Formats: sequence, structure tokens, C-alpha cells
Amino acid sequence: MKSLTYNPYQTAQAQFDKVADLIGLEPSLKEYLRQPMREYHFTIPVKMDDGTVKVFKGFRVQHNDARGPAKGGIRFHPEETADTVRALAMWMTWKCSVVDIPLGGGKGGVICDPRSLTEREQEQLCRGWVRQLARNVGPCLDVPAPDVMTNAKHMLWMLDEFETIHGGRYPGFITGKPVGMGGSLGRTEATGFGVIFVLREALKELGIKPENTTASVQGFGNVAQHAVKKYQELGGKVIAISCWDFKDKTAYTYRKKDGVDVETLIGITDSFGSIDKDKARDLGYETLPGEAWIEQEVDILIPAALENQITRANVGKISPRVKVIVEGANGPTATEADEIIKERGIFLVPDFLANAGGVTCSYFEQVQSNMNFYWEKQEVLEKLDTKMTSAYAGVSELARRQKVYMRDAAYIIAINRVAQAVKSRGWV
Amino acid sequence: MDHLKKSDESLLEVLKERAKELNCLYQIEEILNNRKLSLPEIFEGIIKTIPSGWQFPEICQARIVYENSSYQSPNYQPSSWVDSCKIKVDDKVVGKIEVSYTKKVPWREGGFFLEKEHKLIRTIADRIGQVILHRRMEHILREWDHAKQELAGKENGGKEWMVIIDLLRRTDKNMLFHICQKMIRYLSWSGITEATEILPQFDAGLRDRTDEGRDELNSPSAKQPLDLLDMCDRTFKIAAERLNDNEITVQLKQWILEEKGYQLIKAINRIGASLSDIIEAVTHYCNMTEGADLTYSPTERWLKVALIRRFLSEDLNFINIAKQYFDVTDFNELIQRIIFPAGSHGKLGGKSAGMILGQQILHKLKEELALPFPLKVPKTWYLTTDCSIEFLHYNNLEELNELKYKELHEIRANYPNVIQLMKNSRFPPGIVKSLAMALDDFGNTPLIVRSSSLLEDQMGASFSGKYKSLFLANRGSKQKRLEALMDAIAEVYASLYNPDSLQYRAERGLLDFHEEMGIIIQEVVGIRVGPNYLPICAGVAFTNNELRWSPRVKREDGLARIVPGFGTRAVDRLSDDFPFLVSPGQPALRVNHTPEETKHYSPKKIDLINLEKEVFETVTVKDFLQKYGDRIPNLHLLVSVYHEDLLTHPSRFEIDVEKDDLVVTFEGLFSRTPFMKQLEIILKTLTEKMNTPVDLEFAFDGENFYLLQCRSQSSAEDNLPYPIPKDIPAGDIIFTANRYISNGKITGASYIVYVDPEGYGRLTKLEDLIRVGRAVSKLNSILPKRQFILMGPGRWGSRGNIKLGVQVGYADINNTSLLIEIARQKGNYLPELSFGTHFFQDLVESNIRYLPLYPDDSGVVFNEAFLTKNENLLPKLLPEFDDLAEVIRVIDVPQATFGKVLRVLMNADLEEAVGYLTDPTVAVAEPERKPEEPLPQPGADFWRWRFHMAERIAAELDPDYFGVKGMYLFGSACNATAGPGSDIDLLIHFQGNETQRRELSKWLDGWSLCLAEINYLKTGYASPGLLDVHFITDEDIANKTSFAVKIGAVTDPAHPLKLKS
Repeated sequence: MKSLTYNPYQTAQAQFDKVADLIGLEPSLKEYLRQPMREYHFTIPVKMDDGTVKVFKGFRVQHNDARGPAKGGIRFHPEETADTVRALAMWMTWKCSVVDIPLGGGKGGVICDPRSLTEREQEQLCRGWVRQLARNVGPCLDVPAPDVMTNAKHMLWMLDEFETIHGGRYPGFITGKPVGMGGSLGRTEATGFGVIFVLREALKELGIKPENTTASVQGFGNVAQHAVKKYQELGGKVIAISCWDFKDKTAYTYRKKDGVDVETLIGITDSFGSIDKDKARDLGYETLPGEAWIEQEVDILIPAALENQITRANVGKISPRVKVIVEGANGPTATEADEIIKERGIFLVPDFLANAGGVTCSYFEQVQSNMNFYWEKQEVLEKLDTKMTSAYAGVSELARRQKVYMRDAAYIIAINRVAQAVKSRGWV
Repeated sequence: MDHLKKSDESLLEVLKERAKELNCLYQIEEILNNRKLSLPEIFEGIIKTIPSGWQFPEICQARIVYENSSYQSPNYQPSSWVDSCKIKVDDKVVGKIEVSYTKKVPWREGGFFLEKEHKLIRTIADRIGQVILHRRMEHILREWDHAKQELAGKENGGKEWMVIIDLLRRTDKNMLFHICQKMIRYLSWSGITEATEILPQFDAGLRDRTDEGRDELNSPSAKQPLDLLDMCDRTFKIAAERLNDNEITVQLKQWILEEKGYQLIKAINRIGASLSDIIEAVTHYCNMTEGADLTYSPTERWLKVALIRRFLSEDLNFINIAKQYFDVTDFNELIQRIIFPAGSHGKLGGKSAGMILGQQILHKLKEELALPFPLKVPKTWYLTTDCSIEFLHYNNLEELNELKYKELHEIRANYPNVIQLMKNSRFPPGIVKSLAMALDDFGNTPLIVRSSSLLEDQMGASFSGKYKSLFLANRGSKQKRLEALMDAIAEVYASLYNPDSLQYRAERGLLDFHEEMGIIIQEVVGIRVGPNYLPICAGVAFTNNELRWSPRVKREDGLARIVPGFGTRAVDRLSDDFPFLVSPGQPALRVNHTPEETKHYSPKKIDLINLEKEVFETVTVKDFLQKYGDRIPNLHLLVSVYHEDLLTHPSRFEIDVEKDDLVVTFEGLFSRTPFMKQLEIILKTLTEKMNTPVDLEFAFDGENFYLLQCRSQSSAEDNLPYPIPKDIPAGDIIFTANRYISNGKITGASYIVYVDPEGYGRLTKLEDLIRVGRAVSKLNSILPKRQFILMGPGRWGSRGNIKLGVQVGYADINNTSLLIEIARQKGNYLPELSFGTHFFQDLVESNIRYLPLYPDDSGVVFNEAFLTKNENLLPKLLPEFDDLAEVIRVIDVPQATFGKVLRVLMNADLEEAVGYLTDPTVAVAEPERKPEEPLPQPGADFWRWRFHMAERIAAELDPDYFGVKGMYLFGSACNATAGPGSDIDLLIHFQGNETQRRELSKWLDGWSLCLAEINYLKTGYASPGLLDVHFITDEDIANKTSFAVKIGAVTDPAHPLKLKS
């Protein structure tokens, strides 16, 4: 029975069901994959600073680890629900699978509001979480990572607790660590570069030379900045960048028809991706409304800011010249707009393939941690290129062969790989 | 064995020496105690004895010098092997004693003399001094005894009190009469009728005498006081009969001491007494009563109160508190640094009074509080309030005082001239001289010149930011520094005529108050960092935290706004930057949690004095730290390093100021030093002792903590606990709340945007949930600014799980006046609210209120029917979102209630809030603490002239030329709700071509600019343009789209304007 409210888990299951039916998964396998294989629900008592004890609820969902140890973030959220965690764990399984890294999918969390917790209490919470799960997680079982309201600080506490319990050093237990404490170089660049690696492959396939292309980018945060850099290295020309202006509380599109100079723009951008409007104007950039990025006469659109940016309302404004859309952000295209893009025949590289550079780099961090041998940045980025290129090849080959939309192809390949692993192991 | 023997021998040697010294001392003591010997004889004796006590008596000689005579050994010869010591009597050097050898002696223990010998000579010198003193005293005592005996002969036995009376009779008759008067009263109160009879005569006699004038009292003529003296004798005779001697003596002594204070009290209380009289009297008093303990006497208390009233404040509450912490001697220190005109009657002003009291309280409780950092007071000079009057008078500028009764726009237009006029005026020579003295005292440390007017910080009116404070680099030649100082003072004086402060006074009925401006000249607290001067941090702190970001932060945990550099950036709300917010009672519960947020909401700019350029300037933290970070001694206490979403708190040696991404977090200061503890103690102490929530300004230079200002928090304007009316008709209440309430009010909201928690929960598609946020954002941009409130489920701006709250950013809600989060019971659990934390600091800086509602609590009202049953404007306003009409409801309150508005009153003291419907003309009951403050003027004029101007524009507009079919006025200028900053909403029914449209826009822009300027002159609200013009076409009208719905609307319709015919 369908619930009357929005439920992310049901949405994820519906999406899975659709693809499962398309592939023709046998019912038992479908039944097996449409829910997590393992869930842990437990309590974490924490002695608060004022002497009282508060009991928190913790979760860890391992959706599937047929292809390798489960991988996924830990969320600290006051209204976390089991269903949200389940949906996100499932999403992780597909995400790792589509780039073909040997990891499964998991997710965890604690129901708490970190804003009402002191630093010490948060540390106790992190350690408490690990104490409850110490035997069910680990470099070969399940590898947590930072997520909503958790960061490297929390990861180090968790790692320390894990290593204390197991009596050794296991940096591969967790990812998202700072460089020097088991973290990997190249993480900052990974997602942005990954977007362009797949774009490069897409252009190659379409027979377009990157140096003859122009692009318009939405967003100018970490992902977008590195993507623009890499794209310009390929010879492409970005002519418009849209970003949020914190002062004016609105977005603007900055345009320079003979190509933006990314280094100069970064120089006048604050750490949150706001370009200084006045300085940009002085440098000869036209200031257009925020929405204008989508209507530019370019070959490539790179939405790399927020979700739901290409909607029914503005999809019509996309110039006929646009040939490729690479989704740098998560879910930038609304469902109805997606249909229209599909109809118009614009080549789309879906988000969970295009922005998989991040998770790939996490995988590299884990690999390096397990070896206790850390690569130079160049090596990380080279391996990233190889991984993204082959991931793209897999999806596009399927899309071409089966004549399916790229987004569907990506799902098919991801789910199929997991299904095969489950079958090969003889689980179902 | 050998060495043992040797040590035995040396021990023996030492003992022999000691014996010699002791012998010598005994002999000298004998000589000194021989009363028969005269001083010279004593000295001779000592000189003979001394050599015997020294190591080499044969070659030892001694000499005593006393009162120009020298007494020495026979054959005394000057020598270079000398030891000497001064002879002191009563701490005054009166001579010296010298011991010397005639030949060189072996060097021992670092000198030619033994350590014991040094001590011996010092002991002898001391004893000689004591004997001399004793001999002198003997002389006096003998006279005293003589007087006693004389008296004893006359009366019945020698009594101490009689001696006193006799002395007074001979030396200070004036004092005698006052003492006598007291004695008569004392006797009379004790029920002795004879005394009661003398009383009126004596009083009359004394009065006549006093009328003669003060000066003559000091040398009374012999004739006049005869009868008084007589009465004195009678009085004391009665006293001797009725009271015991001891009682009389005790009383007399007490009265004499008190009498010494009266001179001061009289000086203070005399109507004509000028400040210089008082200052002189205080100094005199302090000298006279030195050492005498008067602390518990009523006189001392009276004196203190008189001084407090005279210098600081006449406010009774203030005096009541201040008198517990001030001693008369404390004023002695204060008055050394007061600058006043001749014949001054001024005070120090409100800001000074608060600051001095705060500092005094903490100073007095120093031991008990044991503050971790030393609490220091920056060196301060004060100009009394009447210096400003004197200044005007000296320059014949009194006419400026009528300025305040002029029209505001005249004042505004005149103000730049006033500043120039003041700056070009001269200070009276006396004041110039005093300022020069002050500058000598300060040296060339940077200074701040602050206003301290009579009105400021008093009577519940907060003039925060209305009067000026100016920083001075105080560099260069003395003349240059002096000129800069006078220039600054003149500019602060000019701010008396600042249109904003005059308007503020006008609104609160304070225009007729005789305002005078005192000045505080204060050493600026700071350290030198390269060419810059700044404190490492500074800020403001409040007893009550009205901005709680977590339910665990309690109101009494307090709030501090801290910034690097000068506190100027912490005092006011900032539009482009954030101070660091922390609750001193809960320092571990931070506002921001993720490293990214912490960075985003960290201070980005810093105020400092550039000593090279001699200016006060604002620079970015980034530039400043890159250039000078290395030179800040405690940089590691101020900043954290941001790297790949991790904030680390480095030690001093780990910071690379050029490469590291430094974020001001004060983490080190809070976690590695007891800074927060200090702040908490100070806040708690002042709150308790001043018996009111306080508002402090402070600065910290890395080692010392400085309290710069202290006043009652209730004067902070937007955070008042508004009384909750108890007589609201039940049907008019929309909601009530009783948890986590902060102070504040929303006078009258015209629109409610209500996101129905149930409706929102029922949405099944992610896209719809996102669209709710979009719709809210659109509403935020089209509804009139600050005239609507937002109500929604759970956590506004929720990240991670959209179901928990509408997904919006700050920009999507920045025009609301109030943000309400509704926590509805779901089964057996209650959702946690966000407390606005997703954009908490944005809300704080823009003064958007926040209120959590718990509709399912017992005892609260939540009028859901009002919110769901009234007409929903959403489909009309945003047709593209009409499918969400079940979820988002926009209610036009006046339309739904026949002209009422929604008023929200929040009172943190009572933990109560209410939102109810009311007639907009009903005034909000003001909080009790400031009854003086009347309501701001109702805005009748604001809309009326706007309406008129709209009619004028229409009358001037040529419809054929511009292609205009009609013109309408709507919004606040039309429905009479316009405030001083409202714009004029015009609707233009346009049917011309593009050229016409451009021209029309230009023509209207001209009007808009012009009107904005007029509005600025009238109200002080600056805006780039006053007209808000919306073009609509035939099509819009036909389809009723866009603003065309306003034409012919049932309620609040646009008003058609008559165009030029």
C-alpha cells in the first residue's frame, strides 16, 4: 500500500522496481535487492556535560555488500528515519556499482541535533556509535564516511574508537579523513575533474572536438571551479557562469562571450562560490539574471549547483545548439524536464555517473589506507581518469547497444552488476 | 681532623663577633634610655661605644650628623671605607650615622663590613630616631598635661572631653559651636528639658553668625560669639551632670570627625556650589580624614550619596546601588581627571555613570570574584556635560538650541553646516588648557572620544549609536594632537543636532529635555600590530539571551557578540558580516556546527586604527592576517585553520598566515583560556549587583580584560518583554505559545503565509515538496516587506530531509517579519524544531523574529480554522502553484477580518507569546520599564503625502504622449498603512510602444529619485527610489494576471488616479 506522504524509501524502491522489470530480474532477486540485506538499530547512552544521561538512537543499514564492503555516510540529524537511511543506502549501492568500484552500499546515522550538543558530547556519541557496531563494521565489512552534519573531526573520533577496540591501526575503516591522517590527496579536485573526464568521453563519442565547444555552467563552488579548469585545459571555452550572490541574495549569470578566465574569476570569488559582482563588471563580464545560464548559445550545459534546476518552466529555453548536458550536481533535472530533454535528443550524462568522482576518490582513500601507502596527487587523478573513463564507456556502450537513454542505461548497468554479484555468490 | 678543628675555630670567631655586637647594642640602649642625658650627650656616648661592636675596634671611628651639627670620634678623619645609615623621625630624614675605618681592612662577604654590622648600624639609627621622636612628643605632652592640670584646677577633675572642649575653644570656635549644637540636640532628644530650652536660642545665635558669611568664620571677632560661648559652657555643664564622661568623650570625637565632612557636604549641597568648590572640598576631606574610619558613619554615607548625585546620576535606583560600592576617597581619584568650565555645575553624563559604576562594583569585589584575567580600566578623562553649554556660549552658538524645534528636513539639510560650524569654533582657554594636560597624561596612545550625554543610557531611552564616538590616532606634535582632539570633541557636540537623534527624541517626547553632552576621552585599549593598533578582540555581552539557538541554551545563560579588533563591529547589526555569537553560560553549545557554516558565519572584517595613516579603518580579516598575522602574539587563540572541510585549532607555531585559510573562531580563547568564565562572572556579578539585566561593552588585549561600558539591558530597544494582554477576546487569538520564547513584537502583520503541516506531510512527490519552498520564495518577493509572517512545519531550511521542513535558504524568507516553526505531535513523538539555526545568524543580523509553536501542548491556543478556512490568496498571487493551495495558504488578514491585523507579542520574562487579531490603531502596551517612552507617531503623515504625490504624478502624466491608459495606486500608500520607509506602489495600465515605455520609465525614475530625497529629508530613511512601478497590459487585465488582480479587487483594491486631461 502506498503511503500518503512522501517517502524517499518508497521512491527509491519504485525506481528500482522499474529498472528491475526492464532487466527482467527474477522475483526472488528483485525481492532481495529492493530492501537492505542487514540493518542495525541500537541505542547510544551519552553522559552529557551537565551530568545527565541522554539516550540516542543509532542506525546502520547495509543495503548490499555482494560487490565489496558496504560504503556510505553517517548522518547526524534530529529527525532521521529508518526509511531515509534505507533509501540512501540503496542509492550508495548503485552509485558504487555504476563506476565499477568494488564496494557495496550502506548508510547510517544518529537521531540527534548536533547544534544542541557540545563538542565533547558529540565525541561521546561518535565513540558510542562505534562501540555498538565495532564487530559489524570495518575495512573489510563496512566503511563509513562523513555525511550530513558530520565531518573529518567525527571520522577521526570514530576511527580512534574502532582502533582502540580492535587493538591496531586500521585507517581503512573510515574515509573522509584529513590528509596526513589517512586521507587522500586530490579529493578537492575529484568531483569536478570527474565531470569533465566523462564529458570528454561523451564528446569523443559524439565526434565533437572539445576545443570547438563552448559551455555554460551553473554554480561556481568547488565542483564547478575544478570542472571549468579541466574543461579549459581540454581547450573548451566557458562563456557563462551563474552563481549565487550572498550580498544581493540572488543569483547572477556572468557572461563573457570570448570565454571566461577561470583563474581571475576564482580570484574574485569568496569561499562559498559568490563572485564579486562589481569586480566582475570591471573585468568586462556582463551581469545577467541568474536563470540566464540555461538559455546561452552553447554546446554544453553543466548544472553544478543545486537539485531541480532544469524544470518544466525553463527547459524550453535551452538553446537548440546545446548538444550535451552533464549533471555535475545531484538531481539538477526535474522528472518532467528530463522527458523533454530525452525527446529533444540532447545527450545527457546522468548525475550519479557524472559526479561519481567523489565516491571514487573515497574508494582510493580506502585503498591507500589499507595499503598504508599514499599516492601523489597526480597518481590519484590519473587513476580517477582511468576509472571514470571506463565507467563512462560501460554505460554509453549499453545505451548505444540497447538504445536506451543514458540515465536508464546507468541504472541498468548498476543494478545488473549487483544482481550478477549476488547470483555469482549463490545467495539467491 | 684538621679541617674539623678549623671549622670549630671559625665558629668560635663568629660567636665572638656576635658577643661584641650585642654588648655594643646593650651599651647604646643604656645610653639612649638615660632620660637625664640631653641629645648631644647621647650622641657623644654612642660614638664612643660604637667601635667596640665592630670587627677592628682599633681603627674604627663613628660620626652622627643631626640638625646641622656633627658629633664624631676624636681624631676623626674622612675615610673611603664607610658604612652609613639615615636617621628618620616620622619618615623624615633628620640626620645620619656613619661608621668608618681609618685604614683599609680585608674584603669579606662582599664588603669591608660584615652583614651583621650593617644590621647593627641600621638598628642604632632606628633607635636614635625613636628617641628623638619621643623627646619631641614629651614636649607636647607636657603642655597637654599642663592644660589638663589647669582645667582640673577649675572644674571637677581632669576629664578628656574637657580637654577637647578647651582646645576647641581656643583654636576652632566654629567647630565648637557645631559640636555644641549637636550636644544640645543630643541632650534634648534624651529628654533633658534644660537642653530643650537652650536649643532655640542657640540655633538662632548660630544662624545669625553663619549669615555673616563663610570667610569671616575663620577669624571670628571677639565680641560676637560671647553669648554663644556662654551657652556652650552651660550646655557642657548640663552634659557633665547628665551623661557619663566616657559617653561624652565618644560622642565628641565622633562629631568632630563628622564635622570635618560637613564642609564637603555643604559644598555639594549648596545651590551655587561649583564643581571646583566640590573638588577642592573632596581633596581637603580626603586629606583630613586620612586613616580615620568613617565607613559606617551616617555622615560618610550621606557624603557618598551627595557626591554620587552630584557627579553621576540623580536616579534613585542608581544611587541606591552606587552608594554600596563607592567611598568618598574613590571620588578623590575620579576628580583628578575631570575637565570642567569655571563655575561648572555639570555631571559626567549617562554613559560615564554606568561605566564608572560597573567598574567600581567589580573593583570592590575583586578579591571575592578572583577573576582569571586582570580587570583593568583604561585611563579616562571626563568633560562635564556643561562644557558643551560653555562651548556654545563661548562661540555665541546658543541659537543652535532652537534647531531642535525646526522641521526635520531643515535639520537634516542644516546638519553638515552645523558640524562645520562646530568644528570651526574655539574652545574656552580654560578647557583648552585642561585638554592639553589630559594629553600629557595620556601620552601618544590612541584615544577614543565618546559622548556621554544626560539622556544617554538613562530614563530608559537608549541613544546607542545616535551620538558619535570618534577614534583618534593621537600622533604627531602636541599641537596637532590637541587640535585633533578638539576637532573630535566638537564633532561629538555637533551630534546633539544630528537629525536622527533629534527625531528619536521627538518620537519619545524628550525634545524638551535639557540635554547636555558630556565627553569621555579614553585611552583606546589595544596592542600594536605592525602599523595598526587594535585589541585582539572586543564585543558586547548581555545578561539575557534573547536569541537561543538550542533549547539547551537558557535565557539567563547570556549572549556575547565578539569580533576581532574594535568592538564597533559587534555593537550594531551588520549587513555584510557576522560577529561571533556565544552564550557565556553555555560556551560549548555553538551556533554553527559544520566547519563550512562556522567559516561562513565568521567575522570577515576587522576595525582598527592605522597609526601610519592616522585613521580608523575597516579592513578584511584575510588581508590583515596575511600581512600582520605573524605579529599578533595570541593569534592561535583567535583563529582556526580551515582545510578541506576540517577546522583545526593550531598552536602558535603551526600557523602559516600566508598560506593557511584562517577563520576567526576564538576557539583557542574559549577552550584554552578562562576568557568565557571571566565574561560569565562579570555578567552575573553586574546583573546581580545592579539588580537588572545588563548590557556590557568590553575589550581584551591578550592579557587584560577591560570593561568599557555598562548599562541596563532593558534599554536595548528591540528586545523588550512586551506585556501580554489578558483581555483579548478568545475568538481573536490565533495562537499562543509558552516554550522557548524570546522578547519582541510584531505590531501588525497584514499577511500570513501558512504552510499547513498536515498538507505538507501529505505531499508524496519530492518535486512538490521542493516546489513548496519555491512558492514561499516567490511569496517572499511579492508580499510587502516585513508585513507578513511565515508559519510552517518543523524545520525551516531543513537540510538532509525535506520532509522535516520547507526547503528554503535565507534569501527565500528574508522579507518576513517573523518565522514560526510548528511542532505538531506525530503519534507519540514531537518533532524537534530547528530554532532557525539553518540561518540563525542571518535572522539575528536582520532582526527577523523567531517563534516555535507547540499546538498540541495543553493550555495553548492554535486557531487552525482561521488559518485553513479563510480565503487563500495563493492561486491569485501565484497561479503556477495553485495545485499547492491545500498546502500553502496566504491569508490577507485585514481582508479576512474587516480591517484587523495580526499582532504578535512575545515576553521572555513570562515565557509567553500571543498572536492575535487587533485593530491596527490600538497601541501596543509598552513594557513597564520605560513608561517615559511614548509610542512612535502613528504614520498618518507617511501615507497622506504619498497619496498626494501619487495624485500629483498622475495629474502631470500625459497619457497620449506616453501611451498610458490608466494609472492606479495600491499598497500601503493607498490603504493608509505606510511607514516612514514604505514605497509608493503604482500600477500603470500601459498600451504604448517600446520607446514610450522607455521614456515613461525615465520620467518616472526622475519622480522616484526626487521623492526618495524628500522622504529622506522628512524621515531619514534613504532609498534609491520611492516609486515601485508595475506595468500591466490589457491582456493582464483580461486574464487577471500579475498585479492586475488589484484593479477592482473586493478588498484593498487599487485606487484609480486621475491622469492629465
